[in-house]
Amino acid sequence: MIADETTLSHLMRKSQGGDKAAYTVLLDECASWLQRYFRRRVPPHQLDDLVQDVLLALHNKRESWDAGRAFLPWLAAIARYRWVDHLRKVYRSEADQLEDWDAAEESGEEAVLARLSLERLFVNLPAGQAQVIELVKIEGLSIAEASEKTGQSESLVKVNIHRGLKKLATLIEKAE
Amino acid sequence: MNRSTETLIARLADDLIPVRPMRSVSGLALVAAALAGTLFSVWLAGGFWSDMLAGDAAPFFYVTHGLLLVLGLASASAVVALARPSVGNRQDAPKWAAAMVAILPLTVLSIAFVTGAGTAGLVDEHSTHCLTSGIAASALAFVAMAYWLRRGAPVSTQTASLFAGIAAGAIGSFSYGLSCPIDSTAHLGLWHVLPVPICGILGRLILPRLIRW
Repeated sequence: MIADETTLSHLMRKSQGGDKAAYTVLLDECASWLQRYFRRRVPPHQLDDLVQDVLLALHNKRESWDAGRAFLPWLAAIARYRWVDHLRKVYRSEADQLEDWDAAEESGEEAVLARLSLERLFVNLPAGQAQVIELVKIEGLSIAEASEKTGQSESLVKVNIHRGLKKLATLIEKAE
Repeated sequence: MNRSTETLIARLADDLIPVRPMRSVSGLALVAAALAGTLFSVWLAGGFWSDMLAGDAAPFFYVTHGLLLVLGLASASAVVALARPSVGNRQDAPKWAAAMVAILPLTVLSIAFVTGAGTAGLVDEHSTHCLTSGIAASALAFVAMAYWLRRGAPVSTQTASLFAGIAAGAIGSFSYGLSCPIDSTAHLGLWHVLPVPICGILGRLILPRLIRW
């Protein structure tokens, strides 16, 4: 089960007050939420690293959440930020291919997830940039392979990746 | 969930200590304190212009400083908000405020060229002093906003850095300007506005590496 916004906000409030039991539950729920959030946008073998990276960021920056505001948009902004950072660092590795794996059944939080999703970032990119970022940074193709698959020259693939990642960084909070 | 994630969660929970949430009101209080500190420093350095206090300055003087103050506060408010990330956190007010302030130098330049006066009348003997003093007066607000952003978790680091620079420049130029006795349109519209884009560029260049996390 994935906890809802109200429960997560309540747990976070108690966590900011130092309640370790509430914090453990919160981090468990966030880990599950993040697993779903990053599915299909991160190769499965990198998923746990990225989830842990976001949990660490959540821990280090937990004072930046204000109880007067919603929790999930805060978590999603941090998740997007770490994900864009992750994309910048990722280079090709042989096993990067995303498999067509399905996550658990959709829950009632699907509408919230959809609004906050990583797809919302991609739809704001020009098609050429989104396509090569997806192929090279997520699916793990080489520049040459992406060039062959998309019909873009190799230098254009590199330029599109560079520009696309820069644009993604500017959309973290805006795209919803 | 795999074992390493469970171990991490156990470790983070074990390390948990209470924190004080960052609230807008604390950030705005920090900005207000920086503004008050800057005004006090300017007053200590030479006092405010007496004609301005008596209401005898040119109307353009009050308009310019009013716009600079609004730009500074709008940008600083945006910086306060950007330190606390959230999807849907759009901060457009500084752009509109900056566009309004940009009308001042554009007006000065337009008049200079339309009337055929050219650039000769745009520079006076105090131009450089006012420009550098406005920039120097922005230091306290710049440090205050850098501190707030470092404490928070800005995810739009470039935008936050640019707005922090603009806010600092506007607050600095506003504060210093209250001590400047020159109230000509050309002097105010150019040399008291220029610190804003200069500080904006400095913020955009310097701050991202300080506030990245």
